[in-house]
Amino acid sequence: MNKFQYFLEYYNGEPLIIQLVWMVSCLLFLAVIILIIYLKFLRVHLRENEKITEKYTKDYELLLITYLYAETDENGVSLERQSVINELEKGIKNTFKRKIIVATFLKLGNEITGEMAESIHDLYSQTKLKKYALSKLKNRNWYIIARGIRELTLFHVKDAHDQVVKHVNHSRREVRKEVQLYLVNLFHFDGLKFLDDLQTPLSEWDQIQLLEELQKLEDQQIPDISLWLRSANKYVVIFALKLAKIYNQFGMKDVLIELISQKDEKVRLELIPVLSHLHVIEAKEVFKNNFNESSKDEQIAFFKLLENLIEPSDEPFIIEHIYHENFEVKYSALKLLKVLNAAKFENLELTPPESDFVKIVEFIKNN
Amino acid sequence: MNKKKIVLAEDNSTLSLLLKFRLEKEGYELLMAVDGKQAIELIEEHNPDLILTDIMMPYISGLEVISHVRNELDIKVPIIVFSAAGQEEMVLKAFNLGANDFMGKPFSPNELVIRVKRLLN
Repeated sequence: MNKFQYFLEYYNGEPLIIQLVWMVSCLLFLAVIILIIYLKFLRVHLRENEKITEKYTKDYELLLITYLYAETDENGVSLERQSVINELEKGIKNTFKRKIIVATFLKLGNEITGEMAESIHDLYSQTKLKKYALSKLKNRNWYIIARGIRELTLFHVKDAHDQVVKHVNHSRREVRKEVQLYLVNLFHFDGLKFLDDLQTPLSEWDQIQLLEELQKLEDQQIPDISLWLRSANKYVVIFALKLAKIYNQFGMKDVLIELISQKDEKVRLELIPVLSHLHVIEAKEVFKNNFNESSKDEQIAFFKLLENLIEPSDEPFIIEHIYHENFEVKYSALKLLKVLNAAKFENLELTPPESDFVKIVEFIKNN
Repeated sequence: MNKKKIVLAEDNSTLSLLLKFRLEKEGYELLMAVDGKQAIELIEEHNPDLILTDIMMPYISGLEVISHVRNELDIKVPIIVFSAAGQEEMVLKAFNLGANDFMGKPFSPNELVIRVKRLLN
């Protein structure tokens, strides 16, 4: 008591700044104590949670394996399998347990193929898990909708098509991406029908992901892409151009020529390499007639196309552009002239000797 | 008759359990390891007839397990490795170290049983 009184007298006798330092120190000390207690509580809680998760995971793993190895019944679900389903149904009602069940199914489903993987998908559909995933599609939060669609994709729930496809033009890119992956993963090339109705952008990354999924398919029979090449959505047109190139759509020649007059420059720029790849020689004259009105990038791209589709009749056009103001066009034109008419290339007037033109010619001669 | 022993090193507990049930049904004795360290301990202790190992595992990888078996223990026990997509280089390394076969994930458990039988008979 005396000590405390002594401290109080000492505290009251000190200047205001020292009193303040004491107060802050005490507050900080108190905060540290509270944080230590909180962290201790949090650690205990997390460890308990981990233990519970581990226990449930083991239980559900065993149930899943029992289901997979249970006898099958030709007339329906066998008694053993039904008892597993009933057991799982009890857990599914609880959100925490439901998450563990789904994680357990996925943990195995992602590692195996064949009949057993199909049995996991069947089990998913037979329990109420499918119902919960479908209910996520009606949620107000975009990330829950995306998660729901992803789950339906992973468990190959084909009959959710109509509910999933409703989100094809969702305002969030993440949801749209999940819808697209669902359709392509489960319905393969037929799933691309979503492109008919797509009004939103299809990013470069989304396109790459779709192409990657499509390339994994055994059946590489691509449907008619002319509708997508004529789409009002420029992203759909660009994606269809990629399909035309990858799947060598030589039959699309007329539609591709129509696209030369597309208003969007990005589409035209994507189109030129496709025309080159598919050897659409007829496109050259159209480009030549519009050459001066084209942008620099298009002019460069067109000369790249010429490098692939060069013919003797192109010589006058090439000579016309060997003095082009753009370096890449000029370089490409000179290279093509060397290929078409080496004598004319050798006899080009090389004055003044220090000009860029002469340097390019000398470089091409030596390479 | 003595059952043939198989060491299964796999960190995916559900897959381990599935393979354990499947291979035990075929008459093999399964010794389970959740990482490479446990796998090496089991191999040294039980001298198995076959080793099934995942490539990516905690503490000691499948490649180190193969290297230990072939170089340190110097035993010719058949080894099958499991690899995920994109681990092609790892698979080549596993073969260079002395693995006998590999299975790319996802795989069919039935196919694994056929390969196990082929190597053990």
